[in-house]
Amino acid sequence: MTAAPELVDPRKTFGQAVTEFAADDSRVVVLSADSGVSSGFGTFRDRFPGRYMEFGIQEHGATGVASGLATTGLVPVFAAIAAFVTNRNYEAFRNDVAYMGQNVKIVGRNGGMTYSDLGPTHYSLEDYAIIRMLPGVVVLSPQDPGEIRAAARAMLTHEGPVYMRIGGPAIPNLFAEGPFVIGKGRVHRSGDYATVVSTGPATANTITAVDALRAEGLTVDLLCMPTVEPVDSELIIESATRTGHVITVEEHYDRGGLSAAVSECLGPLRVRHDAIGLPHQHVITGTYEGLLATYGLDAQGLTRQLRDIVAAGQPASTR
Amino acid sequence: MRRLAPQDLRIEAEEARLLILRMLRGGRSGHVGGALSCVDILTTLYFDEMDIDPLEPTRPDRDRFILSAGHKALAQYAVLARRGYFPEPWVDTYSDLGSRLAGHPDMHKLPGVEANTGALGHGLSIACGIALGLRLQERRSRVFVVLGDGELPEGSNWEGAAMAAHHQLGNVVAFVDVNDLQISGRTADVMNMEPIADKFAAFGWKVRTIDGNDVEQIQGVLAEVDRDSSSPTAVVAKTTKAKGVSILEDTAASHYWKPAAAEMAEAEAEIRARIQLLSLQAVAR
Repeated sequence: MTAAPELVDPRKTFGQAVTEFAADDSRVVVLSADSGVSSGFGTFRDRFPGRYMEFGIQEHGATGVASGLATTGLVPVFAAIAAFVTNRNYEAFRNDVAYMGQNVKIVGRNGGMTYSDLGPTHYSLEDYAIIRMLPGVVVLSPQDPGEIRAAARAMLTHEGPVYMRIGGPAIPNLFAEGPFVIGKGRVHRSGDYATVVSTGPATANTITAVDALRAEGLTVDLLCMPTVEPVDSELIIESATRTGHVITVEEHYDRGGLSAAVSECLGPLRVRHDAIGLPHQHVITGTYEGLLATYGLDAQGLTRQLRDIVAAGQPASTR
Repeated sequence: MRRLAPQDLRIEAEEARLLILRMLRGGRSGHVGGALSCVDILTTLYFDEMDIDPLEPTRPDRDRFILSAGHKALAQYAVLARRGYFPEPWVDTYSDLGSRLAGHPDMHKLPGVEANTGALGHGLSIACGIALGLRLQERRSRVFVVLGDGELPEGSNWEGAAMAAHHQLGNVVAFVDVNDLQISGRTADVMNMEPIADKFAAFGWKVRTIDGNDVEQIQGVLAEVDRDSSSPTAVVAKTTKAKGVSILEDTAASHYWKPAAAEMAEAEAEIRARIQLLSLQAVAR
């Protein structure tokens, strides 16, 4: 029996990475809508009090402030609950950040349905979809602590607006930490029967599921995508051309987000594409594990869903 | 910063009014009522108050101007052109396909524009961000904003009002162009936001109320602003919608206007006559 993997708090990981970067780059400032410390910025506030700005609970105005700060050459990072920094402030995100093309970094924490007990007001299951519709905005969805650190550095180095979604519950290390290139995915497993594309914290359970299928002889390509927009179309097309069947996995509605980004780049290939995510409805509340199980996004559920979809995608003679 | 005599500013504002109308030639239409109500404020800011250099429009220590009521862009275009930010003939492309001058301002297309406003209720927050950024970088620059009274029901204005006061942004000066009208009628009937001065005062702003079409009063209130104060300044500027064009003045219909040729001729003649009179008065002094 293998030891349980070490689990790491994504918010602390993120806050620490930004704080370390900011030690060498005085342009980085942090905005809080009563959300800074719970987004991992307690140390930043203590180390750089002049660069930590509190605005109270109001995301629209704070997003406008971030845009104004960026016009003076600073690099504002505004982190709060994902639902609030993508919905409440959408017009400011659209006009003041995206249309004005400002170097603003907006980070949604407790993304997806990680605030499982707090309910749909606190879920963000449409954030990839609505933010990726804003031209010029990069959408990042790192998948493990190392990627969160690397994505934070890439986000701060990138000149232009970025939205990054992280979760809340502790997550396992999945990959060896390496360089992070915005718009590039990684091939994590190789196989024959399908191309599985995952993003965000859903990737951990997807890896488990893909490995379970491998033991059954159903091997797939697993492409792990820390960037939802622009998605790594080259990698996806290369794999999809070979396997002829793409399955997307995300903790997001099963439309509009990664699935749509992938579907759009598959267009001319005419390969089968199945999307695993949350059904397009107001999802229930409860424990996070309970929700993942209910919607088939835990390791067991993903194994079952992927097995059914991969098997159904094969010619009858090979089933 | 230049110091112009009030009479010179009055003439300059009338010249800007002529340019505003010029942009509506050839069957074009635009938000002329609000542009005409706030143009005396913009003229005074750009010609008499702000520390700016049209030849170096992105100089880091410049004063900033944010037109929160972005639909009044005609006024900003006219004043920027008069001030030398871009060649005056550009105004004749207003609203053309792909023009640098659209119905709302675009900072990436037109020198001197600091924010892409148009959706209402955004300017004050952007201004707060600029003011905070300037202060953090120890720059003495100020940020001037023009809000419309019609946009005040947007809640984000009051997020901005709270932030500017809480963060003690004495380098922020917001004019509220109170022309009492919006597209549907009297602002008091559509959504009464009075008492506007008391609201800003309650948020912790220093508040002055003036006649916003009187350049001397605008100069006077600006002379009182102390950038080192711990309070932002709100100037409640009582104005007349479509000020200076008699056939439109104080009408909701002036909000968005497509002049007929005869109306245009009449309006332009009225402004030209006023410029002539103001010039004669200036000489007589």
